[in-house]
Amino acid sequence: MKIVEFIPSCLLVVLLALLVRRRVYAVLPYFFAYAAFAVGADVARFIAHGHRHPYYLTYWVTEAGYDLLGILVMYEVVRAALGSLTRAWWVRLIFPVVLVAGIGMSIARANVVPSRLSGIEFYIAVGEIAVRFVEVFVFAGLVTLVPVVGLRWRQYPFGVATGFGLYATVMLLTTIKFSDFGTTFKLLWGWTSLVAYSVAVLIWIWFFSVPQKKEIPSPELSAPSPGDLKQYKDALRRMR
Amino acid sequence: MFSIILTWLIVAWGALSCIYMLRCAWRRFPKRDVDDVIPFLYPVDLSLAESLLDPAAEFQFRWKLRPQQFREAQRKRMRLYLELTRRMAHNATVLVEYADAEKHSQDPHRVKLASALQEKAVEVRLYAMLTKCKLRFWLLLRSEILTFMPFLPHLRTACEIDGLQTYSDLKTAAAAAFVRLPPDELDLLTRNL
Repeated sequence: MKIVEFIPSCLLVVLLALLVRRRVYAVLPYFFAYAAFAVGADVARFIAHGHRHPYYLTYWVTEAGYDLLGILVMYEVVRAALGSLTRAWWVRLIFPVVLVAGIGMSIARANVVPSRLSGIEFYIAVGEIAVRFVEVFVFAGLVTLVPVVGLRWRQYPFGVATGFGLYATVMLLTTIKFSDFGTTFKLLWGWTSLVAYSVAVLIWIWFFSVPQKKEIPSPELSAPSPGDLKQYKDALRRMR
Repeated sequence: MFSIILTWLIVAWGALSCIYMLRCAWRRFPKRDVDDVIPFLYPVDLSLAESLLDPAAEFQFRWKLRPQQFREAQRKRMRLYLELTRRMAHNATVLVEYADAEKHSQDPHRVKLASALQEKAVEVRLYAMLTKCKLRFWLLLRSEILTFMPFLPHLRTACEIDGLQTYSDLKTAAAAAFVRLPPDELDLLTRNL
């Protein structure tokens, strides 16, 4: 194993420490669980490295865990970003529709490009590509809402979506190219994955490096002065 | 083949979104301060909007005018409401940018007011976007093709957002956010919004 392969793991440890410091587990519990799981998965893979069968088992179990947590994190991001936007009933349908679209795209792709995997590993790989599609849909959809409805981008859910979105976009691109070029693309695929994931973790670190201001009414908040209140009432009266 | 093309389109959408986020990060936060708000607002006549969305007025038009005359009148009313929603959307954009900049203030009271202002402004933008799409679609279809004319009062709500009520709430939130302005400027804000 080369030393550069540990870069994403080291960055994940930094991210996890930052998430604990910012108490993100209270705001985005699934993302916190994802980061903790990623650190644990890296440690497990490192321990199992060199032992063929345990490593094989650890790899696929952790991949399945990544798939499941990836979906939960995307659900959390959609709920946090769109929850306060509107009370329309169909907002609750957005995530299931995105999920179905992602699974559909992944199955369609599996039909076009036959996989060498079989059994449970095949389903995990299909699930992984479905998660990538869901991540790109959620990220690109949220980013589209920034110029369209003026949604604020500098908030934690956007940071999470950006990291996943960038990584998923690059991975989908390399997956398409991998099917075009075959095994000669394998080395580049490994490096691209490493760099893209490191950049994604750096994006998360950047977003979570700034504390997010609480927007709930604080008991320490000072009441407006009587002068302010009078001015406010006058302004409202002029508006009516 | 279709799934490959779709995958490429999704990847392109993701790549464009990455570029857009990079641009946002590069530009940091909008620099719109209190001086860059009032001169940039377009007045919105809410009483005119109310009259355009009034079902009683609409029924009166339908009964009084002949079908051809009613179609023409209705298209004019649609164009007028489109202009009002454009102005609402523009004003909401200006206020979103102001609130975004204001959220970096150290004063928690200002941050709270900016959050309330931004929430309402985003709702107005969402309403305006959906209503504009609907109106443009209706206007795109030539009135002669339509056997019936769209019912304008249906535009009052979009995505369960009451447009006029939300815009009125936005004005209230703006008055609260700009309460420290000198009285003449506050007066100008209330007239321009």
